[in-house]
Amino acid sequence: MRTQQVRDNFLKLILDNKGIIIKICNSYCANKNYREDLAQEIIFNLWKSGDHYDPNQRFSTWMYRVALNVAISFYRKEKTLVPSVSLTGEHHEVEDETADEAAENITLLQKFIFELNELDRALMILFLEEKSYAEMADIVGISETNVGTKISRIKKKIKQNFADLNK
Amino acid sequence: MEDAELKNIWLHYDRKMDEARLLNLQSWALNLQCFHSLQTQKAKSRLDSLLRFKIRAVFLGIGWVLFLGLLLYGNHLRNLYFTVSIGMIMLISVVAILCYIRQIRQIRRIDYSENIVDTQERLSALQLSTVAIARFSWLQLPFYATWFWDKRWIDYGSLNFWLLLFPITLFFFLLAIFLYRNISVKNMNRRWVRALLMAGPEYKSLLQAKKFVAEIEEFKKDVTVDNGQLTVDSGR
Repeated sequence: MRTQQVRDNFLKLILDNKGIIIKICNSYCANKNYREDLAQEIIFNLWKSGDHYDPNQRFSTWMYRVALNVAISFYRKEKTLVPSVSLTGEHHEVEDETADEAAENITLLQKFIFELNELDRALMILFLEEKSYAEMADIVGISETNVGTKISRIKKKIKQNFADLNK
Repeated sequence: MEDAELKNIWLHYDRKMDEARLLNLQSWALNLQCFHSLQTQKAKSRLDSLLRFKIRAVFLGIGWVLFLGLLLYGNHLRNLYFTVSIGMIMLISVVAILCYIRQIRQIRRIDYSENIVDTQERLSALQLSTVAIARFSWLQLPFYATWFWDKRWIDYGSLNFWLLLFPITLFFFLLAIFLYRNISVKNMNRRWVRALLMAGPEYKSLLQAKKFVAEIEEFKKDVTVDNGQLTVDSGR
């Protein structure tokens, strides 16, 4: 049994890193009705995997591994449960009433990330979160060279998508 | 567009999220009651549903094997065909149960904090292994047509046996071989394969798993271009 102190510390860590969870949920779950389920499942698995956490390892590395693994598994399950959702529709919750340029860019970036396959999507999120190639390689489980090659290909694709829109 | 611009958009995303308080995660997580819901969530966990299915299969299988054991014990090895047939059905069932027990142990050992490629590969393999056990189990089919054979039918050349029972058994034997060769994830788009695997709508997740395994294999490959030369290696 974990003590109240451990629980409180866990909650604090979750709250400090809640942005990671939310962004991963938004990137992997097209249906907003399932998004909260995914967030809960990620937090549950973080709590359950707590025993495997090695304090010598960076907390964010461990957290990204758990969150992305859960999200990818959840996403594949969700794809078989619900019909695909229009990417121009409910997926983009970030947009608000004041549809300024920044909000529009966020919506587009989310859309382009969502169009990537599950593994490329994980890499792109890590890249945008400013993780080093070494840390990305550690989280995803491929070589640093491979990370570099893939990141450059994914970036090119996303930039091309933005460029096509501006034509 | 530069990398910095992409990262800048992502930064805006962070700010927007703070304003929007998406998912209401903060209030949800702050509520200590969530730990109660986390525990109950365990029952609903995706992985646990796979686990529950396999545990149920093991219990049913053990019950079935015990029943067969009782039949064998009651027969006191009097009839060779009965003993061999029931023995083979038992053997195949025991192998299937052992495979399920092994998978249950593997599922329990799945650790989401390991790297994504390894974890996802293991999860997909576990999903697909259910089909392998199902196709193996169909090999017991011919023995359901042999357990009641009587040595006298063969010794005295019973017409009923050679014209009816033997062809039926032969048909079951060939059918078992056919099913063993054809029941696979690749063939799950065929309705009869899904029916034999008793797969409901979840068969799509098996197809997804198969596709995902191929995607992971592709993802692991290093693809580099040196002086216009395309190089591919294992990437791990």
